[in-house]
Amino acid sequence: MTQSQMMNGQDRGVTGAANRPMLSRVADAMYWMSRYVERAEHISRILVETSSLLTDIGDLAPALRREYWRDVLRVLGLDAGEVAEQMLQGTDEQVAFRICHYMTFEPDNPSSLLGCLTMARENARSVRENISGEMWENLNKLYWSLRGDDAQARYDESPQEIYRQVLLGTMLFAGLTDQTLAHGQGWLFTQIGKSLERLDLVCRTIAARSMLLQRPDMGIEADERNIHWMSLLRNCGSLEAYRRIHVGDMEPESVVAFLVLERRFPQSIRYCVHHAHDAAVRVRAEIDPHTIDQAVRILGRLNTQLEYADVGEIERIGLISYLGQIRSTTTDAAEALRQSYFLH
Amino acid sequence: MFSEYHLNGIFDEMFEAVGEPRGHYRSVHTRLAALSSDAFQRRRRMADLSFKNQGITFTVYSDTTGVEKIFPFDLIPRIVPSSEWETIEKGLSQRLMALNAFCRDVYHEQRILREKIIPAELIYSAKMFRREMLGLQVPRDIYIHICGTDLIRDKQGQYLVLEDNGRTPSGVSYVLENRAVMKRVFPALFGAYRVRAIEDYPHNLLHCLQNVAPQAREDPTVVVLTPGIYNSAYFEHSFLARQMGVELVEGRDLIVDNNSVYMRTVAGLRRVDVIYRRLDDDFLDPLTFRPDSTLGVPGLMNAYRCGNVALVNAVGTGVADDKAIYPYVPDMIRFYLGREPILNNVPTYLCSRESDRRYVLEHLHELVVKSTNESGGYGMLMGHQSTSAERAKFAEMIRADPRNFIAQPIVELSQHPSLIDDRFEGRRIDLRPYLLSFGDRVAVMPGGLTRVALRRGSLVVNSSQGGGSKDTWVLEEDGDGGGMTHSNFIAEGVTV
Repeated sequence: MTQSQMMNGQDRGVTGAANRPMLSRVADAMYWMSRYVERAEHISRILVETSSLLTDIGDLAPALRREYWRDVLRVLGLDAGEVAEQMLQGTDEQVAFRICHYMTFEPDNPSSLLGCLTMARENARSVRENISGEMWENLNKLYWSLRGDDAQARYDESPQEIYRQVLLGTMLFAGLTDQTLAHGQGWLFTQIGKSLERLDLVCRTIAARSMLLQRPDMGIEADERNIHWMSLLRNCGSLEAYRRIHVGDMEPESVVAFLVLERRFPQSIRYCVHHAHDAAVRVRAEIDPHTIDQAVRILGRLNTQLEYADVGEIERIGLISYLGQIRSTTTDAAEALRQSYFLH
Repeated sequence: MFSEYHLNGIFDEMFEAVGEPRGHYRSVHTRLAALSSDAFQRRRRMADLSFKNQGITFTVYSDTTGVEKIFPFDLIPRIVPSSEWETIEKGLSQRLMALNAFCRDVYHEQRILREKIIPAELIYSAKMFRREMLGLQVPRDIYIHICGTDLIRDKQGQYLVLEDNGRTPSGVSYVLENRAVMKRVFPALFGAYRVRAIEDYPHNLLHCLQNVAPQAREDPTVVVLTPGIYNSAYFEHSFLARQMGVELVEGRDLIVDNNSVYMRTVAGLRRVDVIYRRLDDDFLDPLTFRPDSTLGVPGLMNAYRCGNVALVNAVGTGVADDKAIYPYVPDMIRFYLGREPILNNVPTYLCSRESDRRYVLEHLHELVVKSTNESGGYGMLMGHQSTSAERAKFAEMIRADPRNFIAQPIVELSQHPSLIDDRFEGRRIDLRPYLLSFGDRVAVMPGGLTRVALRRGSLVVNSSQGGGSKDTWVLEEDGDGGGMTHSNFIAEGVTV
């Protein structure tokens, strides 16, 4: 086959896809399906890590323990209000039990694992003909693993096992999404959803942890800090990758720089912004190659900002407000996306 | 496991007499008789898990929470020999040709009414008769493109048509999924037979839909219209869209502009040419039908009237589904086609006829009374199982609104072995084959949905009433399913 024949073949493929733009409702559902799965992944990781860390620090810092559980809620914006205060009353054991249960099964909590997986599945069901059988079956199994008759019994035996199962299941879903779905419009919307959700959660997780570690009343000794920064990396699924790049270094600046600015690692904020921008550009190109839209514009600016940023800049602005800006820009991008594609 | 099997004095699909399987069941019978109860249960669990993991479920609503259930699957296949099928196929095709001619006629010339073959008042009093369709030209004169006729067998094994289902018959996805699951959990059972393939149904369905696209449209856009994910048949809507590779849309995805239908996509509006709608007439267009419906598309009927979009099935086919019009289908066949019907109806008493009504009211205890516009096993009286209070209630309802009721003698449906707990027992079955009309010809899927009344003694096979289903095999040629080879036995060993 000559090169020109190959090009023709490719052209036909592209035209075929462009002739059949997807339904707005479908694009919306693909995006949210992916966001909810990503959220479930992050929550299960935080629950695994928080329980494990608190076993490690034992009775050393009672005030800190309570705050760690509060942070689990804070990352998802659930820390204010009566329900949260009630859960944080009582012994450590009671608090841990209540919050884990609340974050796993609670039907009134849309951010519980079951809540996220239910929403992900409902969205997937409404676009069943646009995703692969493997994706659907995997998500369906994952849902039944928390919703089935034996879920509570398995949870009582070992919550950790449940969290690990959800973690693996959600990561498998991401893998299946990449491997069994054509990388066309539908896939691109899942990528934007996943990236925006992840970067939002990573921002919140870093902010919550760094505020906590700065509080003088927590009584954290300097030589204990490492363990808390390590657990932040674990919460973001980044510890092993971090160690290979920053051997023997657990300085806060390095950890923050890695989570915010690392170009090569998929859990970092910069990577997520880059990936979301890239997908948004490609969506636009499939629909109308000669224009850009507001979402592309916003993500493009943020992408450039992060590409040329360094730790000094973050320090000057202050980590918390730096992360706050990224989050609010991300919210704008999500809204622009909604306006451009989901509301036709 | 067949040791305590009873024939119950009715037609048994598998057995001619106790211990004597019919020719075409011999091989399956031998295989099944050799299996242990455990081996069978293992397969049943595999099948159930497979349905559950694939989300092939329907939702039963009780209180506020929906419970998802799988449609019970009965692993023992129903087998139809090719000679029997040939008759069924001809009979069904003939019937659908006549039904389409009838729909065309009642919405245009009304010859059949003028010649007094069917009383005109019966048509005008039919709830599903749509005045909006009078004089409206539908593409290729096809009204019922997709039909799911219900067949039953009487005590002598004669196939009878129970209902025609010319609106939006469902269940075909279960036919295809049942076959797929059957191949997975019981591959060796097929080895001995040449079972006709059904997998090309979605392909044929797509052609059937494209066939009625507005003439000028090249490469027409076909969509499936669903009421949404909370509809009990949602799985099927999604399944068919997926199998055909077309969009599954909800009413809110469509918009009518300048009498054409468009769907809302990420790149703006895109023209739609053919809508396979799985939504009843009433909900299609709030401007024409029920104004409170949010499931449909405002202005759709205008686009339809202009010929800019095809609706499948056409609006108004329910008139042919009316149970009070059903008794006239044999006359339709004679009238439009000049032929004798190949498949018979179940004898039916029309309560709107005075003599019939008198008979019905005197014999309620031995008749099935049905409301003419209900389906799914609702609004029925099974005379022989009813209490005198129930009979009195129905008698009153019949006297108040005779047009709304018909009655039929109780047909002893044929039975087929089903796995009940740890042994085989006879359970009543029916058969719903699926037909596609192309105007000048009808394509009948070789097989269909065999529904089973899993409750002992029950004659009601509907899924809402505790029914299940089984795979249905139409054989390529008559035979006893011989030719079982050594390698089949090995395959069996591996999959146990």
